[in-house]
Amino acid sequence: MLTRLTPPQKFAAYGLLVLLALFILFPIYYMLVISLKTPRDIYRLPSLLPVNPTLNNYVQLFVNQDFLTPIRNSLIVAGASTLISVFISSLAAYSLVRLKYLMRDWAGRLILFSYLTPSSLLFIPLAVIIARLQLGNTLHGLIFVYLTFAAPLSTWLLMGFFRSIPADLEEQAMVDGATRLGALFRILLPLAAPGLVAVSVFTFTGAWNELLLALIFTTSPSNWTVPVAVQYLITGDVFRWGLIMAGSVAAAIPVMTLYYLAQRFVVQGLSAGAVKA
Amino acid sequence: MAEPIKLAGGARIRRRGMSLSQSEGLLGMALVAPVVICLLILVAYPFVFAIWISFTDRQIGAEGSFIGLGNYAYLAGLPSFRATIVNTLVLVLSVQSLKLVFGLGIALLLNQPIRGRRGWRGLILLPWAMPAFVAYITWRLLYAPQGGAFNMILIGLNLIPSHADFLSSRELAMPSVILATFWRGFPFWVISFLAALQTVPQEMYEAAAIDGANAIQRFRHITLPGIRHVILVVTLLSTIWTTNSFENVWLLTQGGPSDATMTFPVLAYFGLQSLRIGEAAAVSVAMLPVFAMLALIAVKMLQRD
Repeated sequence: MLTRLTPPQKFAAYGLLVLLALFILFPIYYMLVISLKTPRDIYRLPSLLPVNPTLNNYVQLFVNQDFLTPIRNSLIVAGASTLISVFISSLAAYSLVRLKYLMRDWAGRLILFSYLTPSSLLFIPLAVIIARLQLGNTLHGLIFVYLTFAAPLSTWLLMGFFRSIPADLEEQAMVDGATRLGALFRILLPLAAPGLVAVSVFTFTGAWNELLLALIFTTSPSNWTVPVAVQYLITGDVFRWGLIMAGSVAAAIPVMTLYYLAQRFVVQGLSAGAVKA
Repeated sequence: MAEPIKLAGGARIRRRGMSLSQSEGLLGMALVAPVVICLLILVAYPFVFAIWISFTDRQIGAEGSFIGLGNYAYLAGLPSFRATIVNTLVLVLSVQSLKLVFGLGIALLLNQPIRGRRGWRGLILLPWAMPAFVAYITWRLLYAPQGGAFNMILIGLNLIPSHADFLSSRELAMPSVILATFWRGFPFWVISFLAALQTVPQEMYEAAAIDGANAIQRFRHITLPGIRHVILVVTLLSTIWTTNSFENVWLLTQGGPSDATMTFPVLAYFGLQSLRIGEAAAVSVAMLPVFAMLALIAVKMLQRD
């Protein structure tokens, strides 16, 4: 940052950046190209370029493979778990940041610990519990299970956002006769709106992308979410790569668009070490 | 949690009176209750339950009975399990070292006075913004013997005589999984490091330059201490998540060929599929000591933030 780069340094820097761009973009480019090819062209005319591009794979995906059902399921599951978790997490985050009571530190530790616990450690007991509750193979069950990562994630992120908002305005409102809850809903939440949007984006994408739990808890095709539907496309004997890549593109576009719209907050959230890998 | 909350508490409204603070305490507990109850049922209880199950011979539909360390003894003698330990170590250590070296290098590069820094940052985020399952399915295609780009390029350039089995040969499977996992995971490191680099005060570099410090000295004595905390936190969090990543191995190799890329989450998943819940739970629980250690350090560091 300090010194200007000398011409050879500049050359090296931009050279490295171009290599980096190639490394990042090539897989994405290839995904798009293959999604536009017929099965025959993929095997008979191997090429890195989009020869004879066609939208056939996408038509097949939505007409023959009924890809709209998994999209609908994913929207329901990700939408519902986001709504529920952002709502209960706002209350919890407010309580942890602004109020003082017995066992508060203990509650905070439970949330942080849950946030760090990966679902690969929990899926076996959860499978037993969900079966016992008769929630196996239902979208309700999946929404319920998704709170394992959605609730701690949103609470942890919202605590950061709430902490960055000074308490003065709420105090002023309470001096003017507002209750604690009134101050939360009328003052703090509107001020934290950008934070709420960012947290919703994180929670929604987390739920939309989740594969392991969805694989275990949705067994019949009518309940598959998008990741499960796409992963079942690759289990056949013949890889229909065109179709698989069309499914991947269709699955990636909604969340990548969301991510980039919320990029400003994404970067903030990332630097807080906030998003699960 | 102690540290930041005390800060927030300091800014609290100062009103005295037992009844008020008591009612405030009740309100606080009531507001935090939904999340706490939810996590007790969905995280804390399953956590303890998993440990209990791992000491039983439970199967789907049969409660099973307590068999002590039976499952662990069985696992210790299982070649798949021993391969899993080695593979998980190899995978995590290689991927994390790559992410650390390249993450830091790329962040330093992007911290130079280059044009279009925002654009580059957006570009770096791409693999990360992509759903993990999409990223790994795409890499499976790239590695494919037929229709895969890598074989097409390598054969086209006459670098290899016939197609390479990136995912189905014992030698190549693990490096292939490592590269794909690196691709998807490195943006998190670059972006975190870049954000941290921008908090290092410029004046320190200026002062160092006046004192005649060279680039390496500036890096060692200013940059590195300035971002040390972020490096540690990112390494810890990412290590927890990479160790427990299921999608990469599941979608690329399913642990194959013959366990050459088998990792803990995938082995546990196979255990669940074979309906031997006790053994599957023991696989997960075997990871717990490492996870608990990393998580405890991470909790300490995050609470300090």
